Amino acid sequence: MSEFFQTFLNLEVMRESSGLLLRGLWVTVQACLIVVPGGLLFGAGLSLAQTLAPAWGTRALSWGVDVVRAFPPLVLLVLVVHGLPFLGIEPPPLLGVGIALTINTSTYYGEILRAGILSIEPTQWEAARSTGLGTAATLRHVILPQGVRNVLPDLAGNTLEAVKLTSLASVVALPDLLRMARVAQGVHFNPSPLILAALLYLALLWPLVRLIRRLGGRAVLPA
Amino acid sequence: MNTVLELRGVGKAFAGVPALRDIHLAVGTSELVALIGPSGSGKSTLLRCCNRLTEPDAGEVVFEGSPVPAGGAELASVRRRMGMVFQAFNLYPHLNALENAALAPRRAAGLSQGEAEGAAREALERVGLGDRTAAMPDELSGGQQQRVAIARALALRPRILLLDEPTSALDPELVGSVLRVIRSLKEDGVAMLIATHEIAFAREAADRIAFLADGEILECGPPEEILDRPKSERLQHFLSRL
Repeated sequence: MSEFFQTFLNLEVMRESSGLLLRGLWVTVQACLIVVPGGLLFGAGLSLAQTLAPAWGTRALSWGVDVVRAFPPLVLLVLVVHGLPFLGIEPPPLLGVGIALTINTSTYYGEILRAGILSIEPTQWEAARSTGLGTAATLRHVILPQGVRNVLPDLAGNTLEAVKLTSLASVVALPDLLRMARVAQGVHFNPSPLILAALLYLALLWPLVRLIRRLGGRAVLPA
Repeated sequence: MNTVLELRGVGKAFAGVPALRDIHLAVGTSELVALIGPSGSGKSTLLRCCNRLTEPDAGEVVFEGSPVPAGGAELASVRRRMGMVFQAFNLYPHLNALENAALAPRRAAGLSQGEAEGAAREALERVGLGDRTAAMPDELSGGQQQRVAIARALALRPRILLLDEPTSALDPELVGSVLRVIRSLKEDGVAMLIATHEIAFAREAADRIAFLADGEILECGPPEEILDRPKSERLQHFLSRL
């Protein structure tokens, strides 16, 4: 048993690698600050475009969304980060990772928001139109406030996935939390830094996990 | 009496099945016209063709002397002046009574927030709910919800109200409160076109009654004439089953 602790929960190793891991945590937080707002923004754009486009446009967008969702995010990440330089575009690594993961996660946010929009009865649209409200005002004041509320648990859940997705960035050498944990593991010949990294992810995600619990436990559908 | 709304030869078919055929009907200023007829006779479709929530296939709808525009800001402007009340209320469940009634004055008619809330408050007082402005729809009874829906239409100061079976979704004891409001609007001179199954109400409050069957107006005239001296067999049959 003590050998297990020595290997996985070596406090000495954790203490020595904590500086490295905290730097990695900061990179992970920065990546999240790009990917989550970016994904939400483009996802909202996607869902609105699919709502407002004529039937063929909606079909084309759905098709595109399906292709991106079926595309392994790791391959997308490698393509963007190592492919863009060939086109003469060389974004800083953090931005490259941000772009690739935003593309991936925005399709999920988009589908969730679209489900939210579709969850609202057509009679709400009719009521608004009968009072002379236009499409934009109806979406903003009638449909989205109700639709987004209906999918809040799913939006929070996808945010959780998006945060964990940023750990893929370690593959393209972004010094994020997971990458730094692997470096520390190599330095110390000991996997304890990985456990510490998991604890840091947990600390980062815990408030969100609890929020999802609370949202899920409350009836959010209108009567 | 001036005509507010006139349907000229309006027709509509759904997937080849005719729902309205060659409808001619006019509603004058401060006139209340009741549409009666069996379920599925086209009453709702007729009302929805007036503000183009349903697009008619044939004929035209003339509102205040001009054809109802096909779309855009012109249609939106006509819809503001043609209030609509739905059978299932269709209130915005996330907004309180005042916000329900103030939304279109603010966002469609472009009034300031203060003016819009003033118009909404006034409309809610008119339907007897001046003391429930902060209530959410799910805190109100069905009758109160329908009165908020009427206030939502009234807040835009419409020239005519289109009411689609406004009491059909209500418990019997709540019907009276809504009909009382409609009667008081009639006394104020609001023009109304109302689809209803409340024959007693139509007899007492309507200036004219139109009987619809299979998408056609078979008879139209003053209540006594329609209800006491029905000419067509369809109407006699309809009235005998009430």
